[in-house]
Amino acid sequence: MTEKESASRFFTPAVAVSAAVLVIIFAISVLAPIIAPYDPLETNLSATFEAPSGEHIFGTDQTGRDIFSRMLFGGRTTVLGAFGIVLFSMAVGIPMGLIAGYYGGLADRILMRITDIVISFPTLLLAFIFVGIFGRGLQNSVLAIGIVYVPMTARLTRSLTFAEKNKGYVEALKTAGCTNMRIMFLQILPNCLPTLSSQLTLDIGYAIIDLASMSFIGLGVKLPDCDWGAMLEESRNLIFTRPLSALAPGFAIAVTVIAINIFSDGVQRYIDPTKRKLKRSVLRHG
Amino acid sequence: MKRAKSTARYIVGKLIGFAVTLFAVSLLIFFLERLSNVDPVAVILGGKRASDETIAALREKFGLNLPIWRQYFNWLGGLLRGDFGTDFRYQQPVWSLIAPRLGVTLPLIAAASVITVLISVPIGVVCAVKQGKAADAALSAFCLAAVSCPSFFVSMMAVAILSSVAPQISFTGTFSGFSGMMERLLIPAVCISLGMLALGARVIRSKMISELDSDYVLFARAGGLSERKVVFGKALRSCIIPYASVMSIQIGSLLVGAVAVEEVFSLQGLGSLLISSIQGSNYPVTQAITMITVFFFLLLTTAVDIIIAAVDPRVGKGDASYD
Repeated sequence: MTEKESASRFFTPAVAVSAAVLVIIFAISVLAPIIAPYDPLETNLSATFEAPSGEHIFGTDQTGRDIFSRMLFGGRTTVLGAFGIVLFSMAVGIPMGLIAGYYGGLADRILMRITDIVISFPTLLLAFIFVGIFGRGLQNSVLAIGIVYVPMTARLTRSLTFAEKNKGYVEALKTAGCTNMRIMFLQILPNCLPTLSSQLTLDIGYAIIDLASMSFIGLGVKLPDCDWGAMLEESRNLIFTRPLSALAPGFAIAVTVIAINIFSDGVQRYIDPTKRKLKRSVLRHG
Repeated sequence: MKRAKSTARYIVGKLIGFAVTLFAVSLLIFFLERLSNVDPVAVILGGKRASDETIAALREKFGLNLPIWRQYFNWLGGLLRGDFGTDFRYQQPVWSLIAPRLGVTLPLIAAASVITVLISVPIGVVCAVKQGKAADAALSAFCLAAVSCPSFFVSMMAVAILSSVAPQISFTGTFSGFSGMMERLLIPAVCISLGMLALGARVIRSKMISELDSDYVLFARAGGLSERKVVFGKALRSCIIPYASVMSIQIGSLLVGAVAVEEVFSLQGLGSLLISSIQGSNYPVTQAITMITVFFFLLLTTAVDIIIAAVDPRVGKGDASYD
């Protein structure tokens, strides 16, 4: 009932608010160098652990760095890193899924066995090992988590392609002499995009949490880069004295991910209220 | 007859898949670790200088002078006998490092799982039965927030709140005995379970809503079955299958998935051993923990898949594994 009503309208109040929040967060991440009042790396040992004031909105940390400016730059690393993760999983997973679903047979079996092996490493285990071998840093973490995300993108694309390839238009295009590549990427893929886009929006939220987790346990970004996870880790010694400043990066993660979840639900309902989506959350820990 | 046959084939296929995947993972992890440019001997020496003879002796002792495929099969043979080898840093049997960590992480996982099941099922049922009402809205909002908060952030909030409300609770130090263990593990277990139970409740809610809307429920109601029996006797039973497969993945992931929470509560669990072995290039430990984690994960998910196939005749017909 309510679901059907909202299906006809994309911008329900909840979706509108979450969209606005996401636009603001995205704008802040891109514009951080311009709007941040201080250099996030500049230390000032005469002004450590300062309480929030007009000068420093969130106060300063143990080396006198401005927490607000660090939040903005941390958001930039977190959000852009999460985009990188999802883009990587698309760049590898979508062609894999298209080929597996379209050709079937041996190609399908081989590609799906590969995803089986990657998926048998629970949560971020494979990403931990990858970073351990090739070194920490933003680029390697994004790549490592991206690899963990490929199987789900590939499998979703595969099952969508499977549903498309037996439809009349594909048969017609084949008869008309279209190449397989053309059919896969220019005809089938656009029909898979609506469902994929809702899933990939959701994935950005999970990518934010995963990147933050990696940084939090010390296998993620390294200096001078800093994301919300690394900030939370650093602020663990602030937690008893100034809990709100210490927890600020965590609230930022939570707000962003909640907004993404609501927005993705809205996209999903708008595209097709009846189709069940494949939940990435099913394959990772909470 | 036909059903039993296709189910048996499905189960055998799952078991073969289990063994093959485990073998593939062992190959992948072993050769992946060899891509690192850190020399194992440097890790064994731990920064000390050593003569060429000592280095050669160490290579001999750890089998590093053998061709790489021999090293692999020696390691694999050891695994099959339950021998995880000797670690580089402390030069102790790897299992003696892992066993005490499992003594922390396994009870933690067990406690988190019990809490999850006890709370997620009632929440999911209430949401579905009261769909669209205030109770559903509040609980669904709670679930949305809980799945969106990383578990380590939840843990930090718990520490911040509890340390001001109940300063007598200690979050550090060692513990002994069952009650001491439960005292130290209860709060971390709650922090871990929060995200899982929200996810579980969402699974129950959505499955329950579609079940309550189905023909057999309409029929049961028309036959005069009480609403209570309809919900708990009929609809909830069909929710168990999707719930069990989601939960097996969640709980199966916790062996290393709990690492960030273990860090916050300074618990010496398996996760922190994994992180230190990764950071210290202590490959025998990393490899052993990887194999144990993957084994535990595959064991749980495969077992649940097999149980589902045994009770649900629809599973195992055709290629259901990817759709």
